[in-house]
Amino acid sequence: MNFVVKNKNINHKIMETTNKTILLNHLENQVESHLQQAIHQYQNLRDEVLLKSSNTGGWSISECLVHLNLYGNYYLPLFENGIKNSPENTNANTIKSSWLGRKSVETMNPETGKKKYKAFKTYIPETHLDAKATVAEFINQQERMLQILQMARIKDIQPIKIPISIAKFLKLNLGDALRFLIVHNERHIQQANRNL
Amino acid sequence: MPDSKLILQKTINNIHPLSEEDFECFYALLKPFSAKRKEVLTLAGTEEKYLYFVIEGLQRMYYLDEQNREATLLFTYWGNFGGVLDSMMNHKPSKFYYETLSPSSFLRASFQQVESLAKNNYEIELLLRKGLIGAFSGVLERLVEIQCFSSEEKYKQLLKRSPHILQIVPHKYLANYIGIDASNFSKLVNSVKM
Repeated sequence: MNFVVKNKNINHKIMETTNKTILLNHLENQVESHLQQAIHQYQNLRDEVLLKSSNTGGWSISECLVHLNLYGNYYLPLFENGIKNSPENTNANTIKSSWLGRKSVETMNPETGKKKYKAFKTYIPETHLDAKATVAEFINQQERMLQILQMARIKDIQPIKIPISIAKFLKLNLGDALRFLIVHNERHIQQANRNL
Repeated sequence: MPDSKLILQKTINNIHPLSEEDFECFYALLKPFSAKRKEVLTLAGTEEKYLYFVIEGLQRMYYLDEQNREATLLFTYWGNFGGVLDSMMNHKPSKFYYETLSPSSFLRASFQQVESLAKNNYEIELLLRKGLIGAFSGVLERLVEIQCFSSEEKYKQLLKRSPHILQIVPHKYLANYIGIDASNFSKLVNSVKM
């Protein structure tokens, strides 16, 4: 059985208008690769490995995943509700990006956003973690992400706006928010993997 | 011969060997089909239209109760026939869901076509009957497991059948299959070395 999914990290400047199918395929591939990593590896690691701080004193794998889960807890219900309340429309083929959307994704992308950020207080993990439960929650969230991306294919998602967690008066287009959350996952998955 | 045809032939030979001509008639009904992760192939309440043969990936059949609790009944993977067989054969709405748990690829045939073929070809009908008996035996074995085995024994049985399953599917589905919660399942993974 071969589950390798090529993770094409499209490293181009994000266009203002993109083909929706191409974007969703790319996002799906990324989520699928994160899932496979979690299923194949993370959920089978011993607690000690998951909880061990990085060599430079940075976050352990568990801490990275808790951080990602916190973001998911905020964004996924918003995505799901936005999509649920949207009418079906298979003709909507393009997605427009906003300046804020593009900027958010660029700074979060580990390939383009090289600056280190200190996470906002609410998103810094607490010290006591159930390592296995954290991985399980991450897996659950990525499965939900896949279902959101599937639904996004048959809906017009352009009108859906998502408030940013750290500044709720600012809104992202759903397409940009999806990109943002998934590239944020990629950033911290890479960080988690440096612990291996 | 493509790999998928070979594995199909091998599986059929273990159930009821067919002549080359009969095998080709059956094979001609099968079309390649693929599905992504967490795609529902058969919804509970609808009739199963297809006989699936799994080439790649892992799938499960599960029951959903009124309180939205899931009961994972069985898994299907490489070399297995799949689909909700009882609904397929009795033409009644399925009581269960059949979904993929990983990206999957299949050969699948419209069961209507398989039935037409079987009407005029006794060997195909025999293949279906013997295949069904095999599936039935499997269900009886599973009943024994459910009634008589401890969680640890069920876990060992699962790993004996598929040694790599821990790396292929989220553990929550395995826990659900065994009938325990996720944290007890983690304890089994830590304590039982195979």
